[in-house]
Amino acid sequence: MTAAASSDADLISAHAAGDPYAFSELVKRHRDRMWAVALRTLRDPEEAADALQEAFISAFRAASSFRAESQVTTWLHRIVVNACLDRMRRRQTRPTVPLPEAGPGEPAAPRDAMSDRETSLMVQEALMALPEEQRAPIVLVDVEGYSVAETAQLLGIAEGTVKSRCARGRAKLAKVLGHLRNRIADANVPADGVNVQEQRQWEGR
Amino acid sequence: MTGMERVPMGPPWSVDLIADLHAGVLPPEVAAQLRPRVEADPEAREILQALDATLEDLHALPPIPMPDHVAARIDAALAAEARPAAPVVSLDEARKRRNRRLGLGGGVLVAAAAAFGIVLAVSPGTQQPSNDAKPAPTTSSANTAPPLALKRDELGSAVGDVLKAQNFGPLETPDRLAGCLRGGGITSSGNPLGISPITLDGKDAVMAILPAGLGQYRLVVLDPETCGPDKPEGVLADTTIKPR
Repeated sequence: MTAAASSDADLISAHAAGDPYAFSELVKRHRDRMWAVALRTLRDPEEAADALQEAFISAFRAASSFRAESQVTTWLHRIVVNACLDRMRRRQTRPTVPLPEAGPGEPAAPRDAMSDRETSLMVQEALMALPEEQRAPIVLVDVEGYSVAETAQLLGIAEGTVKSRCARGRAKLAKVLGHLRNRIADANVPADGVNVQEQRQWEGR
Repeated sequence: MTGMERVPMGPPWSVDLIADLHAGVLPPEVAAQLRPRVEADPEAREILQALDATLEDLHALPPIPMPDHVAARIDAALAAEARPAAPVVSLDEARKRRNRRLGLGGGVLVAAAAAFGIVLAVSPGTQQPSNDAKPAPTTSSANTAPPLALKRDELGSAVGDVLKAQNFGPLETPDRLAGCLRGGGITSSGNPLGISPITLDGKDAVMAILPAGLGQYRLVVLDPETCGPDKPEGVLADTTIKPR
């Protein structure tokens, strides 16, 4: 039943039919991807682990009501994202760590001299340093490939807000990742909270 | 707003404004007027390219493997979730089921019954009254059913049952388990994925299942009489398996 060849949907059916290994097998298949989402969204490994545990338990309980028309991965994703968002909402009052002006602001080496691994680490680090409200939409839209509309739904915010938060975050990342020449970046990217008025004006539309 | 959207003057434009244009934040009529002017300006074009390169970086981010300890913790939580809510099963039924599963003959059945008798005979003297015991994560079915009777070469067959249990049996506490594991040079953080009293070749023992990396389980069988922090001889069996 839990052979490697089983599809995700087969595993869900087997789980609903009482196979004690089926759900664990499903989790094993997807846990790295879900871990990446949770960790990138919540940034704190402890919280990410808590959120994932919550998410997988609720998926375990809800699996019998899973409808085959949606992809198992999408369904799991949604549960994981919701568990992360619940945690983010709960800690909303906590301040976010601003993107450091020193440190990763200056890439240590020219981009073409870096290995893929180093690049990933740098991108990862820069992503983690974004404020939460920018990081969550960027993880969903730019890393996980969700549409703006889906992301807006998942995050419970307007589509315009998803777009403008992505725009703000990408501008910061472009600077930190060394894609913007320093001259332009220094002249044009304020440290944080830029053009708030202008942003509100567009977001309000 | 009045609908009379001003097209921001430039060049130069701020990186954020160009990022807004890039992300489709600007009202369509503003974007339509701004885009050709932005694309005609080398510096602004460079910013657009930088934003594209940033997107490529984000798309290319690899998955982050879940650390083993988190995977183990989630496995344990799911195993606990999968555990039946302490069904009341008659001893005969439990034995029949177990022997069907293990494919064992009547001889072992007798051994299992004998082992159970020994457990009953030994435990009253060594156990504290149950209402004084600290709340241990045991299931009542584990207390009423005889321990699984296993042979050394068939430990893997018990994984399903032991994963469903958090019954420390004669080891009583996670601390004692940790001490016994330490004695065998086995490091493990947190609770085992499953733990249950068993008999190994007819001898009372406790089997603990520990995480051992992706999809693998480490089965450790301990002798509750002799195991301890400085007693490697208390580890009766230690093997890693990959179920199915």
